[in-house]
Amino acid sequence: MDQTIRNLREQISLCERQLHALKVQLNNAEERAILEAQAKPEMSFDLSGGGQDAWQMEILGVLGHESPRKNAWPLMPQEYKRYGRQLILPEIGLNGQLRLKNTSVLIVGVGGLGCPAAAYLAGAGVGTIGLVDGDIVEESNLHRQTLHTTEKVGMSKVDSATFYLKSLNPTIKYVSHRTHLNPQNAPDIFRHYDLVLDCTDNPASRYLISDLCVLLGKTLVSASALRMEGQLLILNYPPRAPGDSSGGPCYRCVFPKPPPAETVVTCGEGGVLGPVVGVMGVLQALEAIKVIVDDSHLLSSQSETPSLLLFSAYGTPPFRSIRLRSRRPRCACCSEQPSVSLASLSSGSLDYQLFCGIANPANILNPRERVSPREYAKTLVTTRSVLDRGLPKDHVLIDVRERVQFDLCSIEGSINIPFSQINAPVRSNPSTREQSVASSSSPSTNPDQNAMEVDGKVSEGQRNELVMPWVHFIHKAALEKPIYVVCRFGNDSQVTVKKFKEAGLDLSGRRWVGDIKNGLRGWRTHVDKDFPEY
Amino acid sequence: MTSQTKPSGQFKILYFASATSFTNKSEEYLDAPLNSRELFDVLDQMYPGMKASVLDSSAVTRNLEYLDLEDDDPTIFQAGDEVAIIPPVSSG
Repeated sequence: MDQTIRNLREQISLCERQLHALKVQLNNAEERAILEAQAKPEMSFDLSGGGQDAWQMEILGVLGHESPRKNAWPLMPQEYKRYGRQLILPEIGLNGQLRLKNTSVLIVGVGGLGCPAAAYLAGAGVGTIGLVDGDIVEESNLHRQTLHTTEKVGMSKVDSATFYLKSLNPTIKYVSHRTHLNPQNAPDIFRHYDLVLDCTDNPASRYLISDLCVLLGKTLVSASALRMEGQLLILNYPPRAPGDSSGGPCYRCVFPKPPPAETVVTCGEGGVLGPVVGVMGVLQALEAIKVIVDDSHLLSSQSETPSLLLFSAYGTPPFRSIRLRSRRPRCACCSEQPSVSLASLSSGSLDYQLFCGIANPANILNPRERVSPREYAKTLVTTRSVLDRGLPKDHVLIDVRERVQFDLCSIEGSINIPFSQINAPVRSNPSTREQSVASSSSPSTNPDQNAMEVDGKVSEGQRNELVMPWVHFIHKAALEKPIYVVCRFGNDSQVTVKKFKEAGLDLSGRRWVGDIKNGLRGWRTHVDKDFPEY
Repeated sequence: MTSQTKPSGQFKILYFASATSFTNKSEEYLDAPLNSRELFDVLDQMYPGMKASVLDSSAVTRNLEYLDLEDDDPTIFQAGDEVAIIPPVSSG
């Protein structure tokens, strides 16, 4: 039976590889066909569905069309149909459509922002769309990255998106850049485009893309999203040389200092809702179209005030538009004396990773303070049968993930104290803060029954003593038993162990306090492969 | 110093992105008048560590206008003003 399953899997995987190769070949063939069609502007008027009558030739002659086989209109016949609904908008019109057709747009990142942005720009008839991404499609992308589908899991994001876009609009050109952007490869990619969309997901690439757009004179539409919020910026608009104060501000003008690396939260860590990132990507496409069809900035140095649009799904109001300044006089990139140049990019002397800092995985505990998931599992096996009111008898396991994650899945018998509470600053006015602790001993029961509310108030006298409510709770729950700490990946757990020891929870060395290496990810890999991966 | 409900004699401060996570709030009210140069210190006192973790890399606005707390002349936040702390969001 196992052999049958293995054989079938191998066959399927072989077929998928062949199918993928065929799709790539088809993409390339279609690309060539479109280019050839564009090179030969031959298009027939289908007036009657048959041959040309003499009277038709005569009328066409009067109209000045020498041959009925030559397209006398600025757009192809099918383009009037395809773009008809936007062509009749006064803001677009024929000129706007021609501008779209003659513009090339580079979309960096084909994820939650890039997918909707690319779909709307392809739909609108932008002549050339370049896609940059070095990632492959993963299952956890599908709730928000709207061009990728379940059967594309494992395929390059650029290929998957191109596949969808070609079926949406086969009449425009798509260029694939299956790579991660870096200071060395970026200038050669950017040069070929008129406008850039930043749809990436980290600070280093945001600064790199903005710097390059200033140096190469491209307008940049930059968007981002996390959890329930998004930000949208139109930068370097109008695009002017560094030092020209009539140019639009760049990313460094708005955010001159990158956030500390350890505070940067990714969508994987912080979460994001599909429509939230989707709305930002759609707005990027909209702003890109506005920039493309309106070239008034080329005529006059007067342009509208640059703005930062904030979207907050639960905000009242949900949208806020911030009026920005013009270029920052001391900006490192777009001012008169910039420190950023194309030479510093290509030589590698400008290190974006260094500028933004690198959040190294925590490694702050000594080996004696850490156990592997397997070692912990052995401990658990000996105590599983003697769970006392849902808790292991001879030790305490504290899970420091946030409550919402703990509620998704947890190791039986673990107690939840969210890291945000352990890490919470000691407040001078903590009266509004609530602390709650939950146990997962009986997941089927109402969690409220297990929630042990701990008084969050810190009295005036305690203010400087760093006595947090969880300290009292742990003293009470753990007595003198060893304390194991677990988190999602094995970083927060180490910080927690340090904090626990600082708070005296190791009872001057009498009690073992340590963490489980690699967290619940390690637990899934080495112990319980059915433990949910999210 | 702070209040959730009494806007009289106070200005509103909005927290976005990591400022929301750090304070566990999306907005609150602070006593007016307050010199703009003192804003970060006041917040760092209320939320220890916030200056280095959040504020130093954030944009600050008053009544939907960008402020440069370092380079601008100091300004006074008045009762009724709406100040916002806007950390950069980079994911997407």
